[in-house]
Amino acid sequence: MDLLDFARGPAINVAMAVLVFGVLWRLFALLFLGKPVDRTIPRLGTPGPFWAGLREIGRRMLPHPTFATAERFAFFNGWVFHVGLAIVVFGFRPHILFIKNLTGLSWPALPSGVIYAVGAITALSLIAALVKRITSPVQRFISTFDDYFTWVVTIAPVLTGLAAVGHVGARYETLLAIHILSIAVLLIWLPFGKLFHAFLVFLSRGQTGAFLARRGV
Amino acid sequence: MAEFATLGERLAEHGISRRAFVKYASYLGSLMALAPEVSRSMAAELAKARRQSVIWLSFQECTGCTESITRSYSPTLEDLIFDFISLDYHETLMAASGEGIEHARKEAMAANKGKYIVAVDGSIPLKDGGIYSTSAGQSNLAILEETCKDAFAVISIGTCAAFGGIPKAKPNPTGAVSVADIIKDKPIINIPGCPPIPEAMTGTIAYLLAFGKVPELDHLGRPKAFFGDNIHDRCYRRPFYERGQFAKSFDDEGARAGWCLYEVGCKGPVTYNACATTKWNGGVSFPIQSGHGCLGCSEPDFWDKGGFYVPLSGSVGPTAKLVGGAAIAGAVAGLAAAAVARHRKSSLNKG
Amino acid sequence: MNSVSPMTGEATPLALAVLSEIATALARLAETGEETTIDLKSLPLSPDDLARLGELLGEGEVRCDLEVAGRSEVRETGFSGVWWIRHLGLGDEVALEEIAITFVPEILHAHPDDVARAARRLAEAVTAPLADEEETPRG
Repeated sequence: MDLLDFARGPAINVAMAVLVFGVLWRLFALLFLGKPVDRTIPRLGTPGPFWAGLREIGRRMLPHPTFATAERFAFFNGWVFHVGLAIVVFGFRPHILFIKNLTGLSWPALPSGVIYAVGAITALSLIAALVKRITSPVQRFISTFDDYFTWVVTIAPVLTGLAAVGHVGARYETLLAIHILSIAVLLIWLPFGKLFHAFLVFLSRGQTGAFLARRGV
Repeated sequence: MAEFATLGERLAEHGISRRAFVKYASYLGSLMALAPEVSRSMAAELAKARRQSVIWLSFQECTGCTESITRSYSPTLEDLIFDFISLDYHETLMAASGEGIEHARKEAMAANKGKYIVAVDGSIPLKDGGIYSTSAGQSNLAILEETCKDAFAVISIGTCAAFGGIPKAKPNPTGAVSVADIIKDKPIINIPGCPPIPEAMTGTIAYLLAFGKVPELDHLGRPKAFFGDNIHDRCYRRPFYERGQFAKSFDDEGARAGWCLYEVGCKGPVTYNACATTKWNGGVSFPIQSGHGCLGCSEPDFWDKGGFYVPLSGSVGPTAKLVGGAAIAGAVAGLAAAAVARHRKSSLNKG
Repeated sequence: MNSVSPMTGEATPLALAVLSEIATALARLAETGEETTIDLKSLPLSPDDLARLGELLGEGEVRCDLEVAGRSEVRETGFSGVWWIRHLGLGDEVALEEIAITFVPEILHAHPDDVARAARRLAEAVTAPLADEEETPRG
C-alpha cells in the first residue's frame, strides 16, 4: 500500500467517521440539553424567537456601524476566505466527485482555472488573517493554541491542493496523497476545535437574537 | 565474421546504409527526448556497437509482453532493433527446441560473461518452494538467480516482472514477487506496463547498446525517458479537464464528444507511462483515445487500487458502513451526554 | 494576431509559436552555422496546427523520397535551410516528424563508411563483367 492508497482508503474513511461521530455527538449533546424555564415576561412589540433569531443572523453579516472602520479588514478578509473556501470545496470537479462518490449528489463544476485562481486568493487571504492576528496586540492576546492550529489545518488543504494541481515540490501522486491526508486532519479536528463554528455559527447567533429580543435589547 | 562485426558492418552486408542508424537514432531521440547532439552520437555509437546478446526469461506471465515487442512487420524502423540484438534464448519462442535451447542459454552466458542482458517477463512465485512455475525442471527462482549471476544488466519487462503484477494481486496465491525483490547486485531497469509499450522496451535496449550504460531511472527503476511524465499531463483530453468537461458514463454525450474520463475512473493523473505521446501500434491510438480511462497498468499493484471505475478523488473502502456506524455512535454519545447533563441539573435544582 | 486553421477555421496559435522558434533558429544558422532540430511529435500540435505550420512554411525546391528501413521524406520548405522531415514507420504511420534547420539534413549525406564500401563494390563491378563475358560468351 503506497501513500495514496493509504490516504484514499483508511485515512479518509477514519477521518470521515470521526467527523460524523464528533459532529453528531456535540450537536445532540447541545440540542437535547434543554432550556431552563424562563419565567420573565417577554417585552411587548418584539418579534417572536424565530424571527428575532433570523434578524440577528442577518444583522451580524455586516459589522455594526460603530465598528465599521475598525473591523473593515476582518470583515472583508473574512468574507473573502470563507467564500473562497466554499467555491474551492464545492466548485472543483474532483471535490464534487468525492462527494458524489459518497452521497450520490452532484452539481455542475466551475472551470478548473477559476478554482486555481480562487484557491490562490483564499490562501493569500488566510495568510493575511494570520498576519493580522499576530500583529494586532489585542488579537494576539486572546488567541489560543486552538486558533493557530485551526488556521494550520484550514490552510494546509488549500496549499497542498494548489501544490498538487501545479505539480510543485513532488510528484502528483505524492502531492495528492498529502492533500487528502491534510483534509483528513481537517475533518478530524473540525468537531473538536473552533472550526465547529461551521455548524454552530447560525445556531448561536440565532439563539442570542431570540434571547435578547425577549428581553428587548 | 557475422558475430564479431559491428552493427554498421552487419547492416551494410544486407544493403542497409548508415542512414538507417541516423533515422533510428533520431526516432529514438524523439521518443526519449534526447538532445539532438546526443541522438547524433547515438547513431555513430550504435553503428560501432556489437550485436547484444539477450537472454529472455518467461516466468508467471501471459506472453502479452512478448506479443507486444514482436508486434511489428518488416521491414520498418521499429524492428531494426532485431538486427541489433541476438536473442540467444527465449523460452516461449524457442520452446519447441526442447533441451537443446537450455544448452544455448548456458553457451550464451559463458560466451558473453558479464556482457549479456537478461530480459525477464513475469513474476517469480516463492510460495511452497516456488513449485507454481517451473521450466526444464527448474524453479523460476533458480533459473533467474543462475542466469543473472553473470549478466551486465537485467530488464524487467512488464508489470509482473517489475512489480509482481497480476500474479501478485490479492490474495497472491503463489507468493509472487518481482525481479527486484530477488536480484540485488545487478542494475535493474523496469519497463512496466500490461503490456509495456514496445518502443519503451526497444528504446531502452538500444540506449544500453549505444552508450553501454543504464539510462536515467525514476524512483521505481523506470527509464525517465519513457516514464517521466504522467499520462494526464500529456493527454490530448487534458483541455477538457481544465474546462471541467467530463464524460459521466461510457455512452453519454460527453463520451461521444471526447471529454475527459476522470469521472469514469481514469488513473492518468497518477500513472507514469508514454501512452499519451508514443501511443500504441506505431502511434495509432492509446486506451484513452479509444474511449476508456487509464487503468494505471505501469504502476505497482494497479490491480488492487480500489476499482478501475472509481474516480481518483473518490474514497475507497467501506466508507458507508464506517460513517454510518460513526453517525449512530455519535448520536448516541450526544444523547447520553445531554441526558447526563439534564440529570445533573435536575438533581442540582432539587438539592 | 491569431493563426487560423485552413481546415476548421479554429485558431491555431501553436503554429505561430513554432514558426517564431524556427525563425530564431534560422537566424542563428545564418549567423553562426549552428543547427537546430525541432521535434514536432514532442509538441502538442493538433493536425490543424501542423497543417497551418505547413502552409506558413510553404514549399521549396527540394523534395527527397528515401527508402531507409521504411520510407522517409525530406522536403525543403519555402525558406532555404528549413527542412521538413518525416520518417514513416509501421503501416506508414508517421514515426517521427521534425523540422531541421540546417544546410543539408544529416540523413541525406552519404556516410564515409558507406562510400568506402560502395567504392569497393563499384571497383569489383568494373572488373567483374569483363570476367563474366570472357567465361560465358553470348549465345
